[in-house]
Amino acid sequence: MKTTLSLISITLFSLCITRCGNNKQEENTTSIEVTDTIHQQKDTVAIEEDDETTYKLPSALQIAYVSKKSGAPFNESILNKTENLSRYNTSNYKRAVNFGVYSSDLANCLFNKKYQESKRYLKALTETGATLGLKQAFESDKLAERFDKNISNEDTLVQIVSNVQLKTDNLFEQNKQKHITVIAFTGAWIESIYIANQAYALQKNKKILSSICEQLTFTKTLIKALEATKLKEPEMPELLNAISEINNAFNNIASVKTATENDRELNFDKMKFTDTDMIPTMELVKTLRTKMIN
Amino acid sequence: MKKYINLTCALIVFISTTSFQNGDILCDSKTLKEKAKSALGPYKYDSSELTRIIYKKTETVKEIEIPLFIGEKYRFIFNLEALPKNIEIQIYNKDKDSKNRKLLFSSKDGGIDRKELQWEVSKVRQVYINYIIPPTADGSYSGCAVFMIGYK
Repeated sequence: MKTTLSLISITLFSLCITRCGNNKQEENTTSIEVTDTIHQQKDTVAIEEDDETTYKLPSALQIAYVSKKSGAPFNESILNKTENLSRYNTSNYKRAVNFGVYSSDLANCLFNKKYQESKRYLKALTETGATLGLKQAFESDKLAERFDKNISNEDTLVQIVSNVQLKTDNLFEQNKQKHITVIAFTGAWIESIYIANQAYALQKNKKILSSICEQLTFTKTLIKALEATKLKEPEMPELLNAISEINNAFNNIASVKTATENDRELNFDKMKFTDTDMIPTMELVKTLRTKMIN
Repeated sequence: MKKYINLTCALIVFISTTSFQNGDILCDSKTLKEKAKSALGPYKYDSSELTRIIYKKTETVKEIEIPLFIGEKYRFIFNLEALPKNIEIQIYNKDKDSKNRKLLFSSKDGGIDRKELQWEVSKVRQVYINYIIPPTADGSYSGCAVFMIGYK
C-alpha cells in the first residue's frame, strides 16, 4: 500500500511539474528547441498588457537594399573589420549592437555582389550570433555549404540570408530578447547611415542624401522602442540619449524643421539642403558608431 | 486509506483536466511563420512578429507601429489560424491616440472569418496595425496572431 501511495504521490508531483512546464512553453509561444548557450537575461520581457503598443523595425537586409538602390557605391575599407570580433564578447549590449553592425556589413556586401567578403561577414555574424544564443539559426540547413554552392547567385544568397533572419527572429522571440533586437537594429541602422554618408561625402549624390534622410525618419519609432526596453541592459539609457541627440540634430535642419512645423509631408527628393546642414547629425552618427565598434 | 486514494485520484484527474484551459491554443510560431512566408511570393522576407492574443471581458486593442521606406512596395501577411475566436485587423496611417487617422485596411472588408490575409502597400512612411480583440464572457483564454512583412 505504501508503494502505491508513493507511486501516486510521484505521479501527482510529475503532473504538477509537467503542467508548469507546459505553461512556460506556451508563454514562449514556439516549438523550437534551443540548444545554444544563452547569455541569460536578468529579467525577461514584461508580460504583455492590454492596449499596449509594440514596435517593428526593418531588417538590415532591407535597409541595405534601399541604400544600394540610391546608387551608393561599395567601399570595403569603411566597413567594420571582422578582426574586431574578439572585442565584443564583453556584454549583451556589445554583442547585440555589433551583431547589427555586421548584419549591415554583410547585407552591404551581398547587394554589391561582393561574395567573398559576404562569406567573411557571414562567418563574423555566425560567431557573434552564437554568443547571443542564435547558434541554431546559423547551423541549420548546412548554411555555409549552401552559401558556398550559390556564391555568385545574388537572389539565392539573399534568400539564404533572409531565412537566417527569420530563424533569428524566431529565436529572439522564443528567448524573450525583444530588447536585443532593438539594440541590434540600432547597430545595423547606424552602420548603414554611416556607410551611406561616406558615399555621399565622396559623390554628393542627391539620391544618397534622400536615402540617408529616409533612414533618419526611423528615429521616431526607434526612440519609442528603446524607451520601452531601456532598463533591460545598463548601456541602453545612454544609447537612447545618443539616438535622441541624432533625432534632435536632424529635426533642427531648417528644411526639415519647416516641413514638420507646417505639418507637410517630408519629400527629401525635393527639399533643399546646404552642404553643412547634415554635418551635426552625421558627426553624432560617426561618434556613436565609433563607440559601438570599439 | 481508501478515502485517501480516492482523494488523490480525484486530484490527479482535476490537475490533468485543468492543465489546458478551455479555448487556449498552443502557438507554434515556426509553423505559422513558415505558412506566412510561403504567401510572400516575390517579396523578400523582412520581419515577422507573433503576438499573444488574450481575450478578456472587455474589448482590447494591441497596436504595432511599423516605419516603412516611402519608395518601397510591401506585402503584409497575417496568419490567424491559432486564434480560438476571430479578431479584427485594422491598419491606420497614424497611431490610436491620433484624432484624424485614416483607415487603410480592415479585415472586415474581405470577410472576418479568413485565417490568412494579405495586404499590399507603397508610398507610405508609417503604418499602425491594430488587433481589435473582442470581449468574451467565457473567462480569459488566449491564442496568437502572426504577421510578416515582405518588400520589393
